[in-house]
Amino acid sequence: MSDTPNSPAARAEAPDLPPPSDGLVVAARGIHRIYEVGEEKVHALRGVDLDIRRGEYLAIIGPSGSGKSTLMHIIGCLDSPTEGTVAIDGVQVAAMDETRLARIRNERIGFVFQAFNLLTRESILENVALPLQYAGVNRRERIERARAELESVGLGDRLGHRPSQLSGGQRQRAAIARALVTRPAILLADEPTGALDTKTGDAVLALFEEIHARGTTIIVVTHDPDVAARCHRTVRIRDGLIEEVA
Amino acid sequence: MILEHMRSAMRSLWGNKLRTFLSMIGIVIGVGSVVAITALGESARASITSQIAQAGLETITVNVGRRPGAAVERLFTDDLVEELARFEGIKAAAAVNRASAQLKAGAESASEQITSATPAYLDIFSLEVKEGRFVTEADMLDRSAVVVLGSELAETLFPDGGAVGSAVRVLGSSPKQLRVIGVLETRSDTFGFSFDSGAFMPRSSFLVRIAKPARPESFVLWADPDARDVVETAAGLQAWFDAETGTDNAVRVQSPSTIAETMSGVTDTLSGFLAGIAAISLVVGGIGIMNIMLVSVTERTREIGIRKALGATPAAIRVQFLVEAIYITLAGGFIGLALGMAVSKVASGFLGWDFILAPSSMAVAVVFSAATGIFFGLYPAARAARLDPVVALSYE
Repeated sequence: MSDTPNSPAARAEAPDLPPPSDGLVVAARGIHRIYEVGEEKVHALRGVDLDIRRGEYLAIIGPSGSGKSTLMHIIGCLDSPTEGTVAIDGVQVAAMDETRLARIRNERIGFVFQAFNLLTRESILENVALPLQYAGVNRRERIERARAELESVGLGDRLGHRPSQLSGGQRQRAAIARALVTRPAILLADEPTGALDTKTGDAVLALFEEIHARGTTIIVVTHDPDVAARCHRTVRIRDGLIEEVA
Repeated sequence: MILEHMRSAMRSLWGNKLRTFLSMIGIVIGVGSVVAITALGESARASITSQIAQAGLETITVNVGRRPGAAVERLFTDDLVEELARFEGIKAAAAVNRASAQLKAGAESASEQITSATPAYLDIFSLEVKEGRFVTEADMLDRSAVVVLGSELAETLFPDGGAVGSAVRVLGSSPKQLRVIGVLETRSDTFGFSFDSGAFMPRSSFLVRIAKPARPESFVLWADPDARDVVETAAGLQAWFDAETGTDNAVRVQSPSTIAETMSGVTDTLSGFLAGIAAISLVVGGIGIMNIMLVSVTERTREIGIRKALGATPAAIRVQFLVEAIYITLAGGFIGLALGMAVSKVASGFLGWDFILAPSSMAVAVVFSAATGIFFGLYPAARAARLDPVVALSYE
């Protein structure tokens, strides 16, 4: 799967969408997501339309239970909508099977989590190299690129450390390096500062601004208004609908 | 890619050394016992084969079946010896009877079997005389009161040597005195005939002094493998007896080859049966592996979620867990192989068998353990691969 957004194969998968040259990195139309919990049906998303342009720095905010996590999972290709269409980087993903979704995640999306989610048994170098393993990159190149990515987030002297040997801020920077190592179209961050104190949180957000300045699209899911305030655009979710676009 | 899985499997198993080891034990025992049993089976077979080779492949015995009937009683006489000796592929024949007796020489005594022998007996069993001589035609004609002793019996009755020329008494209602004319070379027992602890008398003398049986108990024949294949000769004899008696197997003709076949058949069945039981322990070990892999999948749900978020396909997750299961079972297989080899080496040492390590048993160990790993690792691996990434990521 080395399809670039402009390759014929990628376009063939998304016949209904405008070509990606229009600069949309996320194009969601009429997204519904219904969970079945026992007998009950939970309507988490009730018809969401959302366009995100290449190079945007966007915040998705909303109280817990609003459906913002569900929307994040769908944008992140971890989940599929019950109804509606989603194009990520020009590729239609709503009806994809798990294997193809995994490839989209691997190639086009970099995740940053609140709890860092580094593999505790591996060094941070191995952690950062892991997405490249799933991309089928050979070991020598994986290590080289992972090292370069860790150096760029200021962890060049910690390559062999386990996550447990690092501070929270360092762990989150390692996680960011891991998210960026595949050169994804979208950096998708879920409460990236939620587990950090204000100062380290600020440092992480400063790093985001740097990354954004280099041209990466960043989507931050948060309930923290201070974090949202530093983004260039904010989308609010309430009761499964996009309520306000500021 | 597979190399990467092997590295990561190694690390994860090493991180849980005790658990890995414990779950391995079942496989170690299973593979170990399969290897030990197949190796011991091989050794047993080799030992039987060498015994038969020692016994001489040229001896054919003719015994009476379980229900002989009148035809057999009529046929089994000393006159049959000459007829059998003329049979195609037979060089010599002898009628045999045996009797238990209490033998005494000086202060020593022994309770052993006395066998009726003719000069041909020596050739039929390819026996060798250590001292003195064996029964001769003259002894037969004279019905001499003489006896040839097996090496062990000679040792028992004459611990200080000098057996030849000495007297041996046969105790009983009318005690007999016999003169020792020879001692045989040591020679292992063969299918019901014990030579080392036996005593041998001229048949004519035996029938007069020791016992008066209604008919010969059996015939022993010296087959000539150059004239005719021994198994073929035995089959020909069997057919002849069946025709003469009008009953199948009223008389049983046995050659070392047929006995060897029967014996190794028995060994095969037995070791197959035992290997089957051992294989059950392999299955139990496999279930242990499955159990531990399921625990591992549950424990590492979050890790699986992370890997999936980073782009691991279901196939990649499946391979990862399968490789771990195969690692455990293969490691267990190799340890079991070493253990099985050690056990069978010690056991064959005790039993006096040659230790034989068939390459097949090594292959069996490796193949079986890998197959167990795959079979019992598949379900846990499939379960890991099927996990929903969203659910897995939020697993605490």
